[in-house]
Amino acid sequence: MEFGWDEEHSAYRAELVTFLEDELPAHWHGETAILGSKANTKYSRRFAGLLAERGWLTPHWPAEYGGYDASPWMLAVLGEELWSRGEPRGPQYMNANWIGPSIMANGTAEQQARYLPPISRGDVIWCQGFSEPDAGTDLASLRTRAERDGDVYIVNGTKIWTSYGDVAEHCYLLVRTDSEAESHRGITVLLVDMPTPGLEIATIPGVVGDHSFNELVFTDVRIPVANRLGEENEGWTVVREALSYERVGSPRWARAAYLLNETIQAANAEGRTIDAVAIEAIGVATAACEAARILSYRVIDERARNIPPSPNGNLARVAMVQAERLVAEACLAIDAGHTLTYKSSSNYQFRKALAAGVAAGAYEVQLNLISRLHLGLPKG
Amino acid sequence: MDFHLNDDQSAVHGAVSTLLARHAGPTRLRALGGDQPTYDHDLERQLEAAGFLDIAEHGSTNRLDAALVQEAISMALGTAATSSRLLIAPSLPEAIKGPVSVVAGGHSGPARFAADAIAVIVIGDRDVRFVAPLPAPVERVTSRLGWPVGQLDFVVNGNGSNGDVMIDVDPEEVRAWARVALAIEMVGAMRFATDLTVGYVTERKQFNRAIGSFQAIQHGLAECAVAVEGSRWLALEAAHNGTAQAAAVALTHAIQASKVVFPRTHQYCGAMGFTQEFDLHLATMRVVALRAEGEALGRPGMALARQRWALSS
Repeated sequence: MEFGWDEEHSAYRAELVTFLEDELPAHWHGETAILGSKANTKYSRRFAGLLAERGWLTPHWPAEYGGYDASPWMLAVLGEELWSRGEPRGPQYMNANWIGPSIMANGTAEQQARYLPPISRGDVIWCQGFSEPDAGTDLASLRTRAERDGDVYIVNGTKIWTSYGDVAEHCYLLVRTDSEAESHRGITVLLVDMPTPGLEIATIPGVVGDHSFNELVFTDVRIPVANRLGEENEGWTVVREALSYERVGSPRWARAAYLLNETIQAANAEGRTIDAVAIEAIGVATAACEAARILSYRVIDERARNIPPSPNGNLARVAMVQAERLVAEACLAIDAGHTLTYKSSSNYQFRKALAAGVAAGAYEVQLNLISRLHLGLPKG
Repeated sequence: MDFHLNDDQSAVHGAVSTLLARHAGPTRLRALGGDQPTYDHDLERQLEAAGFLDIAEHGSTNRLDAALVQEAISMALGTAATSSRLLIAPSLPEAIKGPVSVVAGGHSGPARFAADAIAVIVIGDRDVRFVAPLPAPVERVTSRLGWPVGQLDFVVNGNGSNGDVMIDVDPEEVRAWARVALAIEMVGAMRFATDLTVGYVTERKQFNRAIGSFQAIQHGLAECAVAVEGSRWLALEAAHNGTAQAAAVALTHAIQASKVVFPRTHQYCGAMGFTQEFDLHLATMRVVALRAEGEALGRPGMALARQRWALSS
């Protein structure tokens, strides 16, 4: 047991920080710095391209796909430094972390040749077509149908809460191909090119900041069978593998810590007093971010040793949600009355923290998994 | 970065666990007096003889192995001043052989181990002072928080009037290690309390089913597990890295964790939890004492924020 960084990873972090300090100041402010905004998504194409040129967009990918098999720790350093600045990769972190690897593991040679190069160049936006009006946390009950008709699937149904659905060029879509099968069976993954006839996209105004949600309505949309990822009816296995480490793939604690720092700096710059109540709240929130960090590192350690995913990922994810909420509390304590302006970071963080326990898997489901798999409590 | 015990650490862990199984644990604590115990000189002698108390090298900044030993002692409800010996003493210019009490500068009043201490270490804002021998006999205090407590009736004011001498050491370094020591002690006791409660709710049946199968209890205990695991790894990391920031982070988080673990473990153990015959209170009351000591040592949450952002108010 030891908790130091080796030379290789320290050197990489230093190089990365130098690059970020050169690149970001000219671009990374205002709406661009707000993850999920249109300006942020647009900038992600420039930024991810610059990372790609340096081999830092998909360093963990195998060499044959343009990476160099970098260690999970290197990917963790990358994620931490980028989320510590608000995540300038925008939605493209999903491409590098799990959509690309999922296509590598399950895709045909044609699919790999077509979809992977744009991801590794940093010039493509994907969205994930998972949730439905009646299938959110209970994702396996999804009902969007895909019926085989020769060499196409005909897709009908509705996906909802789809981040980036309005700007994405592709959708990683989960559909039901066997309505008779038990819920986890009978699901298939389709790679959908957007726009496509029969697919209507409507933006759903949200309250969590400038991040937009979308509703995707599929009416007799024809998707070539050649766009199916993996075997028919085996989509649940495909997606579960893809997302198995994703609970710590987005270090939201690092962005929360960044926002806490921004809030403190803004108060200092404006000469506002940070009183004892706020100071205590800052301490508590900082410690919570650190706890989320160390619990995430533990999962990365497992990944680096090729240990199968364990409930440690659920522990880390719960700690991240708690950290985001405590940072919102601390920001409010600092800003006090200044929270009343929409542009204040406390106002922003309260909105962001709202989504923390819902996006990427409900908090309560994580608690269920911890109680059963980590504590060994009996089933209800 | 490596979250697994290496061969040496595993060997030490195995050996100290064997010793603790024989010389510590709830039965031993009850023999010492339960929630109002006497000092366990025998346990201290056994740990000393086996070499566990000097596992951190003098002056070392990596005291992870010492923290692992202390965690095992705390999980076994050991009743001796081992955390100061294991984690603070390596910062001091001279070795300490025997029980010490650690207090904040200006403190007068109850202190853990004070009635048995051969010395008091006083961590002030500007210096660290050492009081030995104690200027007056120390009365035992009834606290019922699971520790032997004595009443210090003098204040160390820095003029040497109580026989105190200044030690040549940075007070921030000593305070940091005192925070790590308290954090890992809290972790050990909270692990005991959580493990015991998980066992209880698995056995205890109401409405014809184990109460641990109810989601309300599962969620509450899952949050306890997150709080304890987070505290544990932060405390171990702080012991490894030895920085003032990491120490303040670890103790701040352990204190927050205790606010989850203390009420919930008692709540889920129901009325059993407030009986003396059930072991839960032996660990949870200790956590209350450790938390109070941690707050007395300079409000770790505020200290952490002030250190990192140079906040002045």
